[in-house]
Amino acid sequence: MDRTDARNAIPSPMALLLRVSLLQAWRKLGAIRSQSRLLSFVIFGFMVGYVVLSFLLFYNGLQFVGRFPGLGEVLTERLLFLMFACLFVMLLFSNLVIGYTNLFRNRESTFLLTSPVSFQTIYRWKFMETCALASWAFLFLVAPLLAAYGLHQHAPWHFYVMTVGLVSVFIILPTSLGAFFAINLARFMDRRSFQVAMIGLALVVLAAAAIYMKPEIVQEDIEDTRVLGLMDRLLVRTRFAHYPLLPSFWLSSGVVHWLEGAVATATFFFLVMLSYSLFFGFLSFTSLGAMFYEATSVARSRGGVFGQWEWFKRRDSRRRSLPDSGGVAESFLNWLFWLPSDVRALLVKDIRVFWRDTTQWGQTLMLFGLLGVYILNLRHFSNQMVNPFWIHLVSYLNLGACSLNLATLTTRFVYPQFSLEGKRIWIIGMAPLGIVRVIRTKFWLAALSALVVTIGLMALSCRMLNLPADRTVFFSGVVSVMTFTLTGLAVGLGALYPNFKEDNPSRIVSGFGGTLCLVLSFVYIVFSVVTLALGAAWWKAQEASGNPEAPYMLLFLSVSAALLWLPMKLGMAKARSTEL
Amino acid sequence: MIELIHLVKKFGDLVAVNDISIEIPAGEFFCVLGPNAAGKTTTIKMLTGLIKPTSGAAKVCGIDVQKDPLEARKRMAYVPDFPFLYDKLTPWEFIRFTGQLFQMPDAEIRSRSEELIARFHLDEYLRKPIEGLSHGTRQRIAISAALLHRPDVFVIDEPMVGLDPQHARVVKDILRERADEGMTVFLSTHQLSIAEEMANRIGIINRGAFAGVGTLDELRSQSGSDGKLENCFLSLTAEAAEEPETAPIA
Repeated sequence: MDRTDARNAIPSPMALLLRVSLLQAWRKLGAIRSQSRLLSFVIFGFMVGYVVLSFLLFYNGLQFVGRFPGLGEVLTERLLFLMFACLFVMLLFSNLVIGYTNLFRNRESTFLLTSPVSFQTIYRWKFMETCALASWAFLFLVAPLLAAYGLHQHAPWHFYVMTVGLVSVFIILPTSLGAFFAINLARFMDRRSFQVAMIGLALVVLAAAAIYMKPEIVQEDIEDTRVLGLMDRLLVRTRFAHYPLLPSFWLSSGVVHWLEGAVATATFFFLVMLSYSLFFGFLSFTSLGAMFYEATSVARSRGGVFGQWEWFKRRDSRRRSLPDSGGVAESFLNWLFWLPSDVRALLVKDIRVFWRDTTQWGQTLMLFGLLGVYILNLRHFSNQMVNPFWIHLVSYLNLGACSLNLATLTTRFVYPQFSLEGKRIWIIGMAPLGIVRVIRTKFWLAALSALVVTIGLMALSCRMLNLPADRTVFFSGVVSVMTFTLTGLAVGLGALYPNFKEDNPSRIVSGFGGTLCLVLSFVYIVFSVVTLALGAAWWKAQEASGNPEAPYMLLFLSVSAALLWLPMKLGMAKARSTEL
Repeated sequence: MIELIHLVKKFGDLVAVNDISIEIPAGEFFCVLGPNAAGKTTTIKMLTGLIKPTSGAAKVCGIDVQKDPLEARKRMAYVPDFPFLYDKLTPWEFIRFTGQLFQMPDAEIRSRSEELIARFHLDEYLRKPIEGLSHGTRQRIAISAALLHRPDVFVIDEPMVGLDPQHARVVKDILRERADEGMTVFLSTHQLSIAEEMANRIGIINRGAFAGVGTLDELRSQSGSDGKLENCFLSLTAEAAEEPETAPIA
């Protein structure tokens, strides 16, 4: 082929797709120049802050564990194996969800399916895209961990090069498995039943983990040897991370052996991983294309799985023949007779949208469910703790954890609420209800719903830690204030920075307002927990006279009120002047 | 040419398309009409190979869409009602990308797109990102890109959504010209005036089957109504609606 032919050669579909994707990514990167500098600075600062903080956390954690007499090395190694085992499961789950969405709920896939591009090529393209999308967060998580581990163990420079190779080969396995599961799930389950099954599975795994990892009460008669006994049990319980067929085991073994200078053994594990990655990657690249088309066709052609059951058929038929009675939400809200009917209608609409969006209640359930399991297990912890310092410390940390969970949810789901009215904004915007009352209603609904969960969790935390009633009242009051503030912040900023063009909530959240909401919420939580902890006397050697908590509480309440009032005021002012 | 041979599509218990058969020769402008949920889009999806038929076959230029999808798709173009475009690309980049997907040499892409760009008045948008363009402009870009490789069969769903009268005229003119040159057009719409003006034959789908197929005169005689297509349409779809329901199948 001469040079002219080479220039005129038509690139393969895969090369074309890659080129277009890179061009799009480059343009997105270029768009950063035109976005707010403050936003760029905040995002960059957050990323750097995360890397530095997590590195310090891992490094200090490893130092702490490494100092454990006699068992330091063993515990450090087990920690590494455990981390990679957990990350492998998370990566597999992430690949499954992203792969499913990318293959079957993606408009580009539909476009390509009508182009002269083979199913195999479309599948390969989506496979690579899924791998990149699902793995970047994993790389972001393991980079500081591996750097901290290397520094802690005084690793040579080539350790860091080797880990890059090991991790690169490793991420192909969860992507291959995730894609395989995603295709088969699409063939046999519809989206709704898939989501329900995933949440069900996650809850079962969570419950099984909670039972398996349940702490045991140590008997007094073996107190002398209880540390060694505990360590022994800990090592036995976490032995699953050393299961030789787990890909995370090969990765961890490769890392550990390379660090110890056992190059041959490390290379062996690298080759094991490479052979599996090549085998499953090859199978995926050569055979799943046809299956992908089958699954796509099935996924687009199917009535709901639940619709095949007689009970659901009868229910659907009843729904067709009878007028809508209003449902549970409406019946419940009818009791709140003092609320105007239009406000009740808006509340019913928002409750229905939340309930029918599996992502929203699924993630809420997962986040608070995890926290609930952890808090329930605190009873074993408090039984063994005699020092009130730790009890109090944990109670404040629980306040922080509960608020952070709430902040994640308010930023993810409450912040985009106003924007999500999107093209429908004219309906409520033109209604006699008025846009300001819409915002207020959204605020009260979100705050009061969240309050049920946050107060419940804090009261449970206090109960599990055997704290006195006055501390339960104190923490319940504090978490209530924080709930109102975090909700107000999300609702207010959501109205202040609306994005009516987007239908995708995650894109709305990734804008300036969403990032600001996340950062402000995070800073507010850290500030509140630290301020309140500083005000409490439990950590001081001697109790101060008078009421030492008062000024700290005043400061906390003032900041909370300001962060609630200001964004809400600005948001409502902006909404009033918004041209619908 | 297009051949739909005893096409059936079931979604669970529901029969969305119930034994549709038709042959549309090369150069024919065929319009599909029908009430909402009649089965038009499902038929298009089977014709373009997006979904598999439960039974029956769809052929494009004699090639079975399921048996040899790649060859069938090379001869076909499909523009949905809300087409997918890469938002960060410019219209020119997207048109060129589509041409390359169809293995067209650069010189050919350039020469063919010049005419389409001029007729659709896309010149001023060529270097602007697609994300900032209106729905109508995006629709013009999608149609230009789809026509670029001179397909033998052109399938289009609601082509006039978002288009101003001037560009709606351009679309009609181009499709008519291409049909005269031998391209088969399969157009699905709710706008009866387009079918009345453009189609050689019209198919009215109701409840997953053809309630009537033919020229306007033939439809008049089939429906027993005079005058406008609207009367034929209402008459044929009303007749079918009164008949006992065929779907769902157990």
